[in-house]
Amino acid sequence: MAWEYRIFKDLHQIPREEHVFPGTPLCAGCGGLESLRLAAKVLGNHVVYVNAAGCFTNLASFPFTPLDASWLYTTMGSAPAGAQGVRDALDVLIAKGRLPQDEDVKVVVLGGDGSTYDMALSSTSGAITRRLDFYYFCYDNEAYGNTGVQLSPATPYGARTATSPCAVRNPVGAVQEKKDIFEIWRAHRPPYLATVSPRFPLDLEEKFARAAAYRGPKLFLGFAACPTGWLFDPAYTPDVARLAVECGMWPLKEAIDGNVVHTYLPKLSPIEDYLKLQGRFRHLFEPTVQKDALAHIQATVKAYWDRVQQGDSV
Amino acid sequence: MIAVRFHGRGGQGAKTASRILGTAAFSEGFTAQDSPIYGSERRGAPVSAFTRIAKEPIRERGIITRPVLVVVADVSLIGDPAARMLEGIDERTAVFVNSPLTREELRAQTSLPGRLTTLDLTTIAVREFGKRGAISALLGAVAGRLVGLRPESIDRAVAQELADLGVDASLIRRNQTAARHCYEAVPLVPVEKDVRGAPGPTSLRAPTYDPPTRGTASITAGPNSAIRSMSGWRTFRPVLRPDLCNGCWLCFANCPEGAITIKPDGKPAVYYPHCKGCLDCVEVCPTDAMTVERETEATKTT
Repeated sequence: MAWEYRIFKDLHQIPREEHVFPGTPLCAGCGGLESLRLAAKVLGNHVVYVNAAGCFTNLASFPFTPLDASWLYTTMGSAPAGAQGVRDALDVLIAKGRLPQDEDVKVVVLGGDGSTYDMALSSTSGAITRRLDFYYFCYDNEAYGNTGVQLSPATPYGARTATSPCAVRNPVGAVQEKKDIFEIWRAHRPPYLATVSPRFPLDLEEKFARAAAYRGPKLFLGFAACPTGWLFDPAYTPDVARLAVECGMWPLKEAIDGNVVHTYLPKLSPIEDYLKLQGRFRHLFEPTVQKDALAHIQATVKAYWDRVQQGDSV
Repeated sequence: MIAVRFHGRGGQGAKTASRILGTAAFSEGFTAQDSPIYGSERRGAPVSAFTRIAKEPIRERGIITRPVLVVVADVSLIGDPAARMLEGIDERTAVFVNSPLTREELRAQTSLPGRLTTLDLTTIAVREFGKRGAISALLGAVAGRLVGLRPESIDRAVAQELADLGVDASLIRRNQTAARHCYEAVPLVPVEKDVRGAPGPTSLRAPTYDPPTRGTASITAGPNSAIRSMSGWRTFRPVLRPDLCNGCWLCFANCPEGAITIKPDGKPAVYYPHCKGCLDCVEVCPTDAMTVERETEATKTT
């Protein structure tokens, strides 16, 4: 059963209004900013962003802000708790009649992968369990990027980071597998859960538009190609984002009440196409090709899509 | 002591250049010290790095406020107050600027003080590497030549420092070739070898506090970041050829900054003060209507 676009069918439907304005000090070619800008076009400006410390902290560095929405800054581990506070305050004020119903706003958590996969995991789990009515947008650049690209639980096998260097004893770099946060979240059965990539803008816009119909936790994992941390020229951000999807390493999917549907069936081109673009994987190709590591990555991807083909839940 | 200050934009290689210079000097028997300013060193944001070279042990630490040589990797830094490139520069300071302009043209455009010298490193790098990339080896070689280090030590330092960063062997060789070319091509200016006057005492001043009614910041401002110009971040700019544009909006959708707007006729337009020069729009354009031009103006107004 192919997934169909119901709301966004043409690129020309992407709203021209901006809600994330230019002039941020984020890196040129930031894949996370690219996703956020597209997401905000659907979310609009009746929003409180609850930001977990991370790269996006630089978005609103006083006295400047690129947002025409509100902004609350929290620690890495407590953004969903902050969202709960904001939501509760809004509910109480509306119930007491001190805030008109039409001034209600969406509560959107912004968190990097360090926060999402690691420090804020328990806080997020609690918020989903409590059925908190909020959005969660994770910009996943697969490392603790803002502090100098250290290993995070989102770092994939074989990637080189500041704390998983390619060394004689450990030539592949990161030896752990990327934590499957999608499945951890899905186990909570949230009403809406999806992965997005900015190189698939219609898919992204469609998912944010669909999520609006659900009450409760609406969770998004955004692929954030990172020129600074992944060591590629910023011009290749769109190519990296496209190849991650086409190689099958970043499946585009949504899960409504826990039922997974893949929204795009990739070509499953060889993973080398994706890895070779990035400096963080170069040690897998030079000075010698680490065939075992590459075969392992390819096998992991293949195993995933085999399960999808067989119609298993993932 | 020779105090050298490097200015670049994140990703250009100012920090590595300071390391190459320090390593080369150390291998010639000097004491050397190098350090970057640590902060949010984002790609495109102003970065500086410092190298001290001396025959005797170096007791001084920290940032260099009175350099004898300043190496500028990007001409747009001159006009960027955040880069603090002009700090501590007078007519005796040697100033190298990566620019296609001659020293006279640059002086006329920028009224920079100091003993100016220029070389177009970006063109050399693009020719040698086939694409844009870090020019750390080239900056290091120029600095090494100006302070009087030998080409062989620069060669070795380039290999060592780039290998430490995981750069592959063939690219290191191309860096060495380009570095040697720059070493020989850079027009020489004298660099003062002595300590440039003891750093004067910093005058401390008690801050004056405004009453809270005046001094409290407005936290209800709208999206005001758009008043900042990002033009200085670019080393290359995307240029639209309207005749080739098919109006697909992919560039508009994929611009991370929102620097591309759609005109009433449905065609995109790049608003340059908002463009950081990532060139994502060039990559996604299906009809090659977005082309690349190098930034050359010293003071970018658009």
